[in-house]
Amino acid sequence: MRGAFELAGIRPLPEEAPEKAENRYRGRPIFSAVLLTLIVLGCAGCRLIMTKDPTYMDLSHYNTAPNGEFLFGTDAMGRDIFSMIWYGGRLSLFIGTASAAISTVIAVVFGAASGLAPAWLDALLMRVTEILLSVPGLLLIVLLQAILGEADVFRISLVIGVTGWMSIAKVVRTEVRQLRGHEYILAAKCMGGGFFYILRRHLAPNFVSSVMFMVVMNVRSAIVAESTLSFMGIGLPLEVITWGSMLSLAEKALLTGAWWTILIPGLFLAAVLMCITNLGNYLRKNINRKESNL
Amino acid sequence: MKKRNRFVYYGKKILTFVVSVFILSAVVFYVSRLAPGDPLVSYYGDRVEKMTPGEREWAKERLGLNDSVTVQYVRWLDHAFRGDFGISWKYKTDVVDVIGGRIGNTLLLGGLGFVFIFVFSLLLGVWCAWHEEGPADRMICNVGTLTSCIPEFWLSLVLILVFSVTLHWLPSSGAYSVGKERDFADRVMHLILPVGIVVLNHLWYYAYMVRNKILEEVRADYVLLARAKGLTKRAVMFRHCLRNVMPSYLSLMAISVPHILGGTYIVETVFSYPGIGTLAYESARYKDYNLLMLLCILSGILVILCNLTAQIINERIDPRIREQEVSERLEVTEP
Repeated sequence: MRGAFELAGIRPLPEEAPEKAENRYRGRPIFSAVLLTLIVLGCAGCRLIMTKDPTYMDLSHYNTAPNGEFLFGTDAMGRDIFSMIWYGGRLSLFIGTASAAISTVIAVVFGAASGLAPAWLDALLMRVTEILLSVPGLLLIVLLQAILGEADVFRISLVIGVTGWMSIAKVVRTEVRQLRGHEYILAAKCMGGGFFYILRRHLAPNFVSSVMFMVVMNVRSAIVAESTLSFMGIGLPLEVITWGSMLSLAEKALLTGAWWTILIPGLFLAAVLMCITNLGNYLRKNINRKESNL
Repeated sequence: MKKRNRFVYYGKKILTFVVSVFILSAVVFYVSRLAPGDPLVSYYGDRVEKMTPGEREWAKERLGLNDSVTVQYVRWLDHAFRGDFGISWKYKTDVVDVIGGRIGNTLLLGGLGFVFIFVFSLLLGVWCAWHEEGPADRMICNVGTLTSCIPEFWLSLVLILVFSVTLHWLPSSGAYSVGKERDFADRVMHLILPVGIVVLNHLWYYAYMVRNKILEEVRADYVLLARAKGLTKRAVMFRHCLRNVMPSYLSLMAISVPHILGGTYIVETVFSYPGIGTLAYESARYKDYNLLMLLCILSGILVILCNLTAQIINERIDPRIREQEVSERLEVTEP
């Protein structure tokens, strides 16, 4: 390549040292990726792992500490926690990804529309997002949920998704505002490309990298939101097993000292959140590559 | 800046504020009225079930629930301008009184949390940046990520399990023991766990931001010059780098207020701490519209005020960024 396009008098570029094999894995979230994959696989294949029926209430064995039969013990309703973890994890992870997907779709469409809109409409749309951002998220979720009625998995994903798109939309809009002046967008418009065509072919590939991190973090906050809601008793009911609804029995468990019903689901929850955070941080642009001057 | 320009500048800000609060109140009003569930239940309790249809009609008429939502909103607005926000249907007293009795507790909890976060995140951030990539910095980074991504309610549960249930060192709920309302030591004992959790949960998010900002700063060319000139590392860090980081830190902390407040809401619910967080949760559950309205608007006002403050801090210090949104510049991503 260089030989063909060499300019007269150009400063020779330094040869790039080939990356060493050992350095390739440094700073990459290998451990998080492996752990997250294991948990996701375990939840997806929960039928193979479960030792008991997670919904069966074995009333002769309620609040049993972990032992050979009940690996993680049982809760106050006599359900086997080991089986519930995998069975419920499926729903928790599904709600997290589904609501992040909903948020992302709304955010991308809204942000791109606002970015391509004339200045006055753009200002108006951004005011709207700011006002929505200013209502405390949890209150907004509680209100919406009250409107939709009895909570189920799809409704709760919808509610969390609909309340979580604002910050992504702002980033998308900023990116689109910078991109809209480019000639290829103009060319696409001249040739009659519609809004969604331009968004899909020209805009999305350009802003996907800066939005990726926020989307991953959105999965995290959606899982947190679901578990917090279910814990407070305004999310999914007790019979629908998720990590959050398993923890909603925790306040009673505090009185009986059944530590395993609090610690074990929470540990899984925390581990997944931690892995997602590490993966998300890896996706962020690396800024500190230079040597410190201090 | 000329005097007239400054007048226009602040005038615009105030106008934005008023319009935002107005729209916010309308949105919350309409949304809360759309919610199903019978507000009569929160006012009359179980007696509603024994009412005849005639009585129910009369009660609805009396509470003004029969008019269209718009009429109700205009009436609410009219009363609100005169300082009358209606009565709480659950507590049967003026909403302002209900909130007034609780807000002190929340301000104490949130305020203490904020002060601790403000001080410690700066210290921790600077310390980590100073020992960049050292073993201590790496460990703190990992522990910090862990504490900031554990859900607040679970952290509360675990700490209650350890310190209250197992060790019996600290009380597990409330703001004071019965009959000890004026006992200072008792109040402090009740505050340790909630404040600790609020701080633990938010501290790293801001400390990490400080760390990264300083690391960016340390790579600037003027640092090299200052070092070459013979300034000590310490002097460069505290006299130059930290000073350059301060504006973004201050505006970040202004934005952080609502986030920390949201965090206290959850902690309050777990600890049944008598603040406005528990109140908000109750009012949403029992359809106590008037109360919920005022709480939403109060929180909203606080958020909008904080965002404006952040914007003003930024613009006064660095006029170049007038066009940008503060939150985008600081990469604030989540509540």
